Amino acid sequence: MVTEEEIERVAKLMKIDVHDHKEFVEKVHAMIDFFDMLDSAGVEDEEITMKDLPLSSLREDKHIPFEDKLIENLKNYKGSYVRAPKMV
Amino acid sequence: MTKIGLEIHCQLTKLESKLFCSCKANYRDYQPNTNVCPICMGLPGTLPRLNQKAIKKATIIAMALNCSTPEKIAFFRKNYFYPDLPKNFQITQLNIYGDTSIGGPGMIMVGNKKIRITRIQLEEDPGRLIYEGASSKNQITLVDYNRAGTPLVEVVTEPDFENPKQVREFLNILSDLLENLDVSDPGLEGAMRADANVSIKGGNKVEIKNIGSFHDLEKAVHFEITRQESLHAREIPIIQETRHWDDKRKITISSRLKEEELDYRYFLEGDIPWIKIGKDIQEKLKSEMPESISSKKERFVTKYGIPDQVAVVLSSDKFYSDLFDQSHTEKNAKEIANIITTDLMGLVDTAEKRTQSKLQSSHLRDLADAIQSEKLTRTSAKNALYEIVKSGKELSHIIAELDLGNVSNEDELLKIVEQVISEEPQALAEAKSNPQTINFLVGKVMQKTKGKANPQLTLDLLKKRIS
Amino acid sequence: MNLKISALEFVNEVKNGNISAEDFVSATIERIKNVDEKLHAFLEVNSKAVEQASKVDKKIKSGEKVGACFGMPISIKDNICIKHSKTTCASKMLENFVAPYDATVISKLKEQDAVFVGKTNLDEFAMGLTTEFSAYGPSRNPWNTDYVPGGSSGGSAVSVSAFECVASLGSDTGGSVRNPASFCSTVGYKPTYGLISRYGLISYANSIEQIGPLTRTVKDTAFLLNILSGLDPNDNTTIDNDKDDYLSGIDSGIEGKKIGIIKEMIEDGIDPTVLSATNDAISKLEGLGAQCEDVSIDMVKYSVASYYTISATEAGSNLARYDNLRYGYDFPVEGFEFNSYISKARTKFGPEVIRRMILGGFVPSSGHAGKYFLKALKVKSKLTKEVNEVFKKFDYLIAPTVPILPFKIGEKIDDPIALFQVDINTVMSNLTGIPSISVPFAVSNGLPVGMQFLAKHNEDKSLLQAAHSLESTVQLPEIPI
Repeated sequence: MVTEEEIERVAKLMKIDVHDHKEFVEKVHAMIDFFDMLDSAGVEDEEITMKDLPLSSLREDKHIPFEDKLIENLKNYKGSYVRAPKMV
Repeated sequence: MTKIGLEIHCQLTKLESKLFCSCKANYRDYQPNTNVCPICMGLPGTLPRLNQKAIKKATIIAMALNCSTPEKIAFFRKNYFYPDLPKNFQITQLNIYGDTSIGGPGMIMVGNKKIRITRIQLEEDPGRLIYEGASSKNQITLVDYNRAGTPLVEVVTEPDFENPKQVREFLNILSDLLENLDVSDPGLEGAMRADANVSIKGGNKVEIKNIGSFHDLEKAVHFEITRQESLHAREIPIIQETRHWDDKRKITISSRLKEEELDYRYFLEGDIPWIKIGKDIQEKLKSEMPESISSKKERFVTKYGIPDQVAVVLSSDKFYSDLFDQSHTEKNAKEIANIITTDLMGLVDTAEKRTQSKLQSSHLRDLADAIQSEKLTRTSAKNALYEIVKSGKELSHIIAELDLGNVSNEDELLKIVEQVISEEPQALAEAKSNPQTINFLVGKVMQKTKGKANPQLTLDLLKKRIS
Repeated sequence: MNLKISALEFVNEVKNGNISAEDFVSATIERIKNVDEKLHAFLEVNSKAVEQASKVDKKIKSGEKVGACFGMPISIKDNICIKHSKTTCASKMLENFVAPYDATVISKLKEQDAVFVGKTNLDEFAMGLTTEFSAYGPSRNPWNTDYVPGGSSGGSAVSVSAFECVASLGSDTGGSVRNPASFCSTVGYKPTYGLISRYGLISYANSIEQIGPLTRTVKDTAFLLNILSGLDPNDNTTIDNDKDDYLSGIDSGIEGKKIGIIKEMIEDGIDPTVLSATNDAISKLEGLGAQCEDVSIDMVKYSVASYYTISATEAGSNLARYDNLRYGYDFPVEGFEFNSYISKARTKFGPEVIRRMILGGFVPSSGHAGKYFLKALKVKSKLTKEVNEVFKKFDYLIAPTVPILPFKIGEKIDDPIALFQVDINTVMSNLTGIPSISVPFAVSNGLPVGMQFLAKHNEDKSLLQAAHSLESTVQLPEIPI
């Protein structure tokens, strides 16, 4: 059961204002119910792995500055900083 | 039973580039947001490019702390929102699918106390927040991403520390160790930061964050212990929580933001495969590791007969031990060690002084020779050293320029001895009855010769004259 | 100017001097002007395209070395970064984002003298199956403009099938290249995971997605794959393909090859037209000398649930960086505190993206991760094992790309579960990393049906041979636009 409180908690976690919670509860509820079928897959004993890469294929430790003035092409404050909202 | 544990973040400032991109690892000389690229600014479509050397350096740190080092390591995402976090997740390490952090359980001795290391992990530093504006009403938050992506090694200890003094000792040992391994400059501002957790009498654990310096860490831990003991004495329960160190008021305060239970939703970083380090590389790294501080100390004491105290000072500072190893011979080892740990120390006690110093290992050799062959007195040697550090000139030039040569000519010295005796009749009388006071007269002769008189010869001549 | 030629035919014509790149690109831009108001394949058209094509012509005339594309007009899905171009992911969140760098695939195509005619429409942040979730309006199926073109690379598929370009690059996370290719009757290909660099592809589900070309013929796909594939130092997940030449031997045929028909993909819910087309395809393949046999892959039943759980989790994390502080759209921070600003700024995401983010926050969260996210990862593992086992016996696998025919715009948009099911035949390839391709096979009542081949990991060359074989048996009607 997915409750409205759960949706509210997750919305806070994901930093999205979700006004019409009821609409979401229904749709998200349906989606999660659908995922419940994973319980019958019988995969408890499976291991989770990923492919691996040898250390030698990784990037060399060299300083290569990025050639463009990046901050000037992004949102900036006085051309040098990024402005964030007030921290409480 | 006081229990203190630490989480220390050490920047790998000796690397050339950041952990996931080619921007400079040491961001300190840059104007805001000029040491950045699309990767470390978290622009859309960018992917992390792992730095090979960072893994090697982190591995030797783990080895130096006697940690287990798994052959394969993995990276995870720690998801949360903060303005200094360009992707709003941090790429870090965890052990949720087996041992995948760069270092597993280890230990280090702090005096006689064994401190257990829980794990070592490799991760990226966030950017920095800067506040502009005088009052809190007008204050604006600005973000500088120069530091974002700087490689960090996090060292987590078990709560084995019993008091703030042990904590301080450990931090010094760790600092020296990192410098000795040539992985970090711990003296750089912000290169080493630590959080602590404190509990007393088997009670709840309290975390302390936002501690700016090691000095503050000792204070913060001390304060927190006192705070908890006081609560305990009044039978008030100690809440398990995170507290912030308030640098102005020098107290820990409860985090005002009841951070809605931080749920980091950890999962494997899909853009970085597991990295196979392998036994071969690990063994090579181990064999190429710089000599440890304790091993150096042992060597200095057993091979060169250097006194214990002196050996401790020499070995724990890479600048001194490097200088010693480059300049000593079997013959002059003790003398070189002595010069470094007495006369030189005051002249190169800061990072700035060390960079400006013109001293070479050849100078030390010449100096030791001159002292041992009695061409220079200790006092003159000290003056010569000052000049060498400043100008880097050859010792022979300095001796000539400053006229530091020993006055060893007996006749010359005798003249001066006679002069002093005639000027100090009372002292002479005293010396006749109390031989110990002869040093006063020796001192006078030294004064007259500007420290160049051969002290032993002076003493002999005076003794002869008195008797 | 005849625009209805393949990429390879275009290259030949230009090489032989029969047409100039400039004339062809110019005619292409004309075509876009004529049809795109109705079809809405493009979010942005490159005003410098003709100029760039003429530069290629100059190179050819002066005898300079010319890249393999010879000024060919290619469209690019708007979630792939082109330097100094707007890249919006069809979202209002990235309304003003101008990419400061080229994706690797873009650099490679630039090196080969391709001309980009424009950025194509998609479901917002590539989340969707119909392109109806674009914040800038849906694209329309050129075979019948009341119908969806598929998604999320809908704009790409439309632009290729309506001759608004010669080829396109899309991205495939759960079927997003193959599905619209099938609905619009083009070739749509998802390479082995890691074969084409993702550097510059704006991430949705980074552990399973790939950039994939949409083309008129299978040979065109092989041609592009030769240019795009290979190890990229900018992407640690790329694999070495030993500089394979995907065009050579593409006519080898499938004599003696064993093809497995995936049972779970032709069962419940399959449209009878699609089923009969599938049987037709099987006969054709047998006629070419292949042996076709049913095969069962048990985990397919759980693959959609697994896919949506994993992709939602990764999306929730990959889209966290869109906080509107460094780039995005105009919304000043004054007067807001951090949490309230971010939460409000991110309401610019469309409803489907928001749903996926909520899901993506829920399924890996503490207390639920074990039941959903971890289980989904385990299904992925087991599915991969099953598929590897199957490939011990079979050379290829086959199934219809989509079990249903294209449907009307608006028909399924309110039913997320119904939409999920459209993916059932395509997600397996993403979850396991194996290559797959959709080949246009039939047109029924004016609506296209595509057939899907799958091959073993890194057997892309062989896969293209099989696809080419089937393609050569097919004669399709002309598109009515």
